[in-house]
Amino acid sequence: MRKRSRRAFLAGVGATGVGGLTGCLGFELESSSLEPSLVENRPDAVYLPTHTEGMAMGEMGSDGGYSCALTYSYPHRFWTVTGSDTAQVEVESDDALHLMPVVWHSETGIVPSDVSPRVDVTQDGESIVDGLNPWPMLAQQMGYHFGDNIELPEAGEYTVTVSVGAGGDRRTGPLADTGAAEFEFTLDYQPSELRDLPFEDIAEARQGTHGAAEPMQMKMVPMMQAPTADDLPGTVRGTTESGDAQFVVTTLDDATRFGGDEGQQYLAVSPRTPYNRFPLPQMSLSATLSRDGETRLDGYLNEWLDPDLGIHYGAVVDSVAAGDDLTIAVDSPPQISRHEGYETAFLSMPETTLTL
Amino acid sequence: MSDSPGIDRRAFVKSAVAIGGAAALSACLDRGPSIDVPRGPEEPAATFPERQHAWNAALPTTDAGNNHHPRHRVLLALDYGDGTPTAAERETVEAALAGVERAYERSAAGLLLTISYSPYYFERFDDDLPESVDLPEPAALSSFEDPDADAVDAIVHLASDHGEVVMGAEEALKGELGELNGVSQPDAALTDVFSLDERRTGFVGDGLPAENQDVDGVPDDGPVPEDAPMYMGFESALDGNQPPEDRVTIQQGPFAGGTTQQLSMLTLNLTQWYEQDTRDQRVSKMFCPHHAQNDLVEDAGENLGTDPQMDDCGDPIETARREGVVGHSQKMVEVREDDTPIILRRDFDSTDRDHAGLHFLSLQRTITDFVTTREAMNGEQIDSDSAVGQRTNNGILQYINTVRRGNFLLPPRSLRALPPANPRATVAENAEVANA
Repeated sequence: MRKRSRRAFLAGVGATGVGGLTGCLGFELESSSLEPSLVENRPDAVYLPTHTEGMAMGEMGSDGGYSCALTYSYPHRFWTVTGSDTAQVEVESDDALHLMPVVWHSETGIVPSDVSPRVDVTQDGESIVDGLNPWPMLAQQMGYHFGDNIELPEAGEYTVTVSVGAGGDRRTGPLADTGAAEFEFTLDYQPSELRDLPFEDIAEARQGTHGAAEPMQMKMVPMMQAPTADDLPGTVRGTTESGDAQFVVTTLDDATRFGGDEGQQYLAVSPRTPYNRFPLPQMSLSATLSRDGETRLDGYLNEWLDPDLGIHYGAVVDSVAAGDDLTIAVDSPPQISRHEGYETAFLSMPETTLTL
Repeated sequence: MSDSPGIDRRAFVKSAVAIGGAAALSACLDRGPSIDVPRGPEEPAATFPERQHAWNAALPTTDAGNNHHPRHRVLLALDYGDGTPTAAERETVEAALAGVERAYERSAAGLLLTISYSPYYFERFDDDLPESVDLPEPAALSSFEDPDADAVDAIVHLASDHGEVVMGAEEALKGELGELNGVSQPDAALTDVFSLDERRTGFVGDGLPAENQDVDGVPDDGPVPEDAPMYMGFESALDGNQPPEDRVTIQQGPFAGGTTQQLSMLTLNLTQWYEQDTRDQRVSKMFCPHHAQNDLVEDAGENLGTDPQMDDCGDPIETARREGVVGHSQKMVEVREDDTPIILRRDFDSTDRDHAGLHFLSLQRTITDFVTTREAMNGEQIDSDSAVGQRTNNGILQYINTVRRGNFLLPPRSLRALPPANPRATVAENAEVANA
């Protein structure tokens, strides 16, 4: 019985979205996906999707140096990524909502890319969702976050626990002092409220064209964009591109906080999405740096979290000079799930060279 | 329990094991045809091996050449209470265990059993465990898990291909049966000495996970392949992934011939696994990307025989760097010694707490061997040095959650009934008392 009513509700959401026919409960859709068909001939680049979606903001909390906001929207399709392959995840008939626990480091506003938060959902002490590890994801309106479609049996209040384990050791400043955290929220799941969330079609002529929906500014939640080239610390050496991602290169004169010496330099690469400037974590990057034909660096660019550089990749080098040639190789593209409009970008990423 | 004719006998038996109790057993037996299991010897002590965990010789070999694992399991988690054991209590425990051993032959078709003891049990003695035993209290073994400690005193592990056998043995050990398989049972029960803290149940082998997939953690459309031996759809304990029993046996000291048992309860979240990953992704994550790219794994992997062909997977860091994903089995290769793993898996799936889960039971010479293996599974360095995440694309970490961990000493058979912490010291002490 419960399932039937939920399906009816979901059909209603789809109908609202597609045709604006609010309240069409029981409307039959042939596909379990309630979204419009994908844009045809999607470019291998960031593109404008068929529609934009609103989002509901649940409770917010802070613990152990992190903050977390429980946000959600109606269930929607996304793509998981392994290597350069994507797998499209369709909305299942029992999915109630797309749950997104937005976790950020309270002091710096950085979304930690070296942890995998866990979600448990209970109702009156009974387990509803046990040990779910939502995917790291990238969405045009939200940037880098964690999310998944989840099933809930019925409207009502649920307790949602979000647990964050200790991160990796490539962190600097206050990020390095932040350990584990746990948040407990009450989620009031009301299908009628979900139904009222905006669902706006993008004009057909614009769908599939290069571009991105505007980032959504959430109250109290920092916007997790990479710093503009002007705002990056150090000597900004230029920007290059691969697979529609932009790579801004800067060098710092003191590499101590990245495991080097005072006399060494730190070569930092900050990859981000075009248009919305969202950082791109979970890549394997490597680099060669050469001067007058002599190799100065040939190795990994490791992912670091730094208050000023944000999520970026870097290596310690003895010296960097204007005129050096830097080649960045993308050994693996970002292994983060993609929302619509990002699933064809940042996959085929040839190496790219920049003269500093 | 309803006796509806619509339920077939096999389905009935497996749910009966999960439910347990004398009524379930009796309902099960009433549904006949009764099973025909040979009885054990009159004097099990005279013929059974000193190693409780020496099961392999008693297990048939599958068509693929691997050890067959008994299909039905019960774990009895027992509390001893305060104080130290008396000679009479030791006799009771030994008598109860020997009673069920006389009832069923020691085989997969009959009954295999072990009893093991936790560090919390051994705390009650003045002596410490000897240095030859590595048995720390359980601890979280990754930065992203927060398990409960399995703080019971003892675990009895019952295993058989017949649900009726594990249920029968359990009832007899609780003193509920005067006769088992036609063999009169002693007036001695484990429950005379211990209290039963929890019964845990499970199953492993072709078809059982699919029959048991109507639980939380598995999507409603029944995605577990019909013949799969485990919930995740693949063979896991291929002989090529198992060390010989010698490798996991304690070699020295008073507990020589014993082993350590690590028991974790893992919950599985298979919605992502079955609904959001492709088969290639699943093969990449369980085995390695090489196996997915070359279609090396058919169905559950029976075609691999005994050899998971891990040598072809390549270096885990290199794979993670270039493919963005690393296989679960692939990560374990580095902890092999002489090309075999250092922990012996005897794990099985479970519907306990009405959730798809896994009682990950492994035997190893030292708990340190388990910790080393689990650290390899965490792949922290791989995560740190590549596109692979803390859990995402990092083997199967995305789908499992450790909710409880326990460490136990599985003593040799002659010390299985309420052993002291240091049998040699105890013997010496008794000798002194005798000589005084």
